[in-house]
Amino acid sequence: MGTKSLDELKTGMVLSSDLKSSDGRLLFRAGTELEERHVELLKRVGVAEAEVEEERCELSEGLLRDIEDYVRDFFLYVNPDFEPAIQMFQIALDLTGYAVANGCKLPGVNERRASSVEHMEDLFLKGMGAPETIVKHETELTSFPDIYFRIREVLEDESASADRIAKVVSTDMSLSAKLIKLVNSPLYGFPQTIDSISRAVALVGAKELSTLALGISAINYFKDIPPELVDMKSFWRHSITCGIFGKIIAGTQAGLSPERFFIAGLLHDVGRLIMFKKLPYASTEAMLFARENSIPLVEAERSVMDFCHTDISLPLLKSWKFPEGLSNMINYHHNPMEFPNPLEPAIIHVADNLTNAVEIAQGGMYVLPGIDEQAWDLLGLKADSFLREAVDKHSEQIDTIMSAFF
Amino acid sequence: MGSLFSSSISLRKSVRITDEEFIQLRDFIYEKSGIFVDVRRKYLFESRFSKRLNELGLSSFADYIKYLKFDIRKAEELSTLFEMVTTNETSFCRDMKQLEAFQEIVLKEKLDEQRKAGKLELNIWSAGCSSGEEPYTLSILLHESLRMELPRWKISITAVDLSKDMVKRAQAGVYGDYAFKTTPEEIKEKYFLKDPQGWKVKPEVQKLVRFQQMNLNDTLALKRVARSHIVFCRNVIIYFDEAMKKKVVGRFYDNLMPGGYLMLGHSETLHKISQTFKPIYHPGTIVYKKEG
Repeated sequence: MGTKSLDELKTGMVLSSDLKSSDGRLLFRAGTELEERHVELLKRVGVAEAEVEEERCELSEGLLRDIEDYVRDFFLYVNPDFEPAIQMFQIALDLTGYAVANGCKLPGVNERRASSVEHMEDLFLKGMGAPETIVKHETELTSFPDIYFRIREVLEDESASADRIAKVVSTDMSLSAKLIKLVNSPLYGFPQTIDSISRAVALVGAKELSTLALGISAINYFKDIPPELVDMKSFWRHSITCGIFGKIIAGTQAGLSPERFFIAGLLHDVGRLIMFKKLPYASTEAMLFARENSIPLVEAERSVMDFCHTDISLPLLKSWKFPEGLSNMINYHHNPMEFPNPLEPAIIHVADNLTNAVEIAQGGMYVLPGIDEQAWDLLGLKADSFLREAVDKHSEQIDTIMSAFF
Repeated sequence: MGSLFSSSISLRKSVRITDEEFIQLRDFIYEKSGIFVDVRRKYLFESRFSKRLNELGLSSFADYIKYLKFDIRKAEELSTLFEMVTTNETSFCRDMKQLEAFQEIVLKEKLDEQRKAGKLELNIWSAGCSSGEEPYTLSILLHESLRMELPRWKISITAVDLSKDMVKRAQAGVYGDYAFKTTPEEIKEKYFLKDPQGWKVKPEVQKLVRFQQMNLNDTLALKRVARSHIVFCRNVIIYFDEAMKKKVVGRFYDNLMPGGYLMLGHSETLHKISQTFKPIYHPGTIVYKKEG
């Protein structure tokens, strides 16, 4: 996006914001492609400047081929004949192509490597800390936000009234503010503005809103994660993206409450945060190992540490007494078919893969973990139309939802 | 949105490998190198090998397996195959915590012992040395520990790697910036010379190291390595299955002199592999001692 003065404006440029005259009158809406007559009019009314989208450069054949090779590398681990994988590849190609056309550069090899963590030390050496021990060490040190337990209590109490739920949630200002922003975001698309928690409870549903509140209050637990290992904003963006896809996919299935899937997506990788905190060196080794060998991070974790982030989330969520159904989605998102009732974890599984696919254009680092073909079949979705629609919906929602959190 | 790409771009670019061919190739690699490839990496394999199949003008993996087994150029091809199944991420002074413990405890102990016994010699074996960063780091640590005393010592660092190409690069001893990402600046200034292609390791550092191509699955070759006081084998056994891990660690045990030490990578452990070594815990690392 850039501001151009009147004499720089040319036909073919696209307005990136609504253009108003000096007295505030709307002249042209954002998205208008300027034609000769528009420019003439602007000269006549004396508009000095306008915000326009970056010009898209034409991509050369060579650059298109580079992009293709770059994107293909992220799909090395998946079955190249499997329809959903092919669709995700096409989507990632388009997104990356647009990103490059809009001035992004493909990251070079060095940028895709982890920074040095030589100064950091793991609290547990290999073979000395089982996931349970690691989690215990963490939960004994860091106490859980009070509000979490109060919401959980309400959630578990079948007879709790909508009023009581609204009251409990309202006691936490920051949590309430996030919830209000969230229910006003395109995630819900309510036509009118919702300005209170009690109104949100009424519209979204008591149980649903409590689930959202519970998941969001859990985020506050994860502080002091070493910044050398992970940029927290990217981490939560990945999580929220997975949550959005989880909710969209759940919406196609009969009888599921989509909020739960947003929360499962939001928290699907929390085990990784504990790993970063307790095993920073081994986590970095795993990240390097994944990139060097073009294998998914989850597999590299298993090679390097003998366990992976879902082995950590299992005892972690258990110790929080997190609702079981939600925990199962999180703990089985890499191997949904191993869970007796695989539909719910399968949704997060597919959402996670789709998340990885859209992140390629934003400088993602790791190959797609791969889609279990049986898990995909369970959902009964049409790969070609559904995945595109989901990605379009996601791009309409992500920025507003991110801003509710950060 | 419209697409910038032709809708006919397919995800598959590689020659298809059948399950049977995959198992044959995997078993072949395992037999030759001890490297175990999980079936989940089947598609990864397809794309990695497809380029090579094209270069050789072969249209199927069955033909490639035949080529590996029966062609007159099979020995050279084996070397190319090894390049494709291993990766070589390393840098100078990788895993500082471990190297500090090594220098201050293990190396100090060994040097003192040798001085007391009046034998100013030390043998170190760097197994899986990749492009040479590890053995050169060890040579530098010896220079730092022995200083003026060094000329009186007979130090031998035997550095081996599966890949011929890696051994060649190690012998050349020229490195780009990435190799120094974990290296203190003063070490780089002291032991390397600016070179048009990066930095070249100084001759006195190179002098202590002898490189050779070696397959850790080749028991006879392993037996020819001079007996060592210390064995370094970092980030290698992670590629092996349990049987191969046991076998290689057993060879290291045989090679080490009594009281010798085995150093493994940060993410590697003898837990479940061997009980013959005594694990000794230091901050950030475990060292394994052959008692006796």
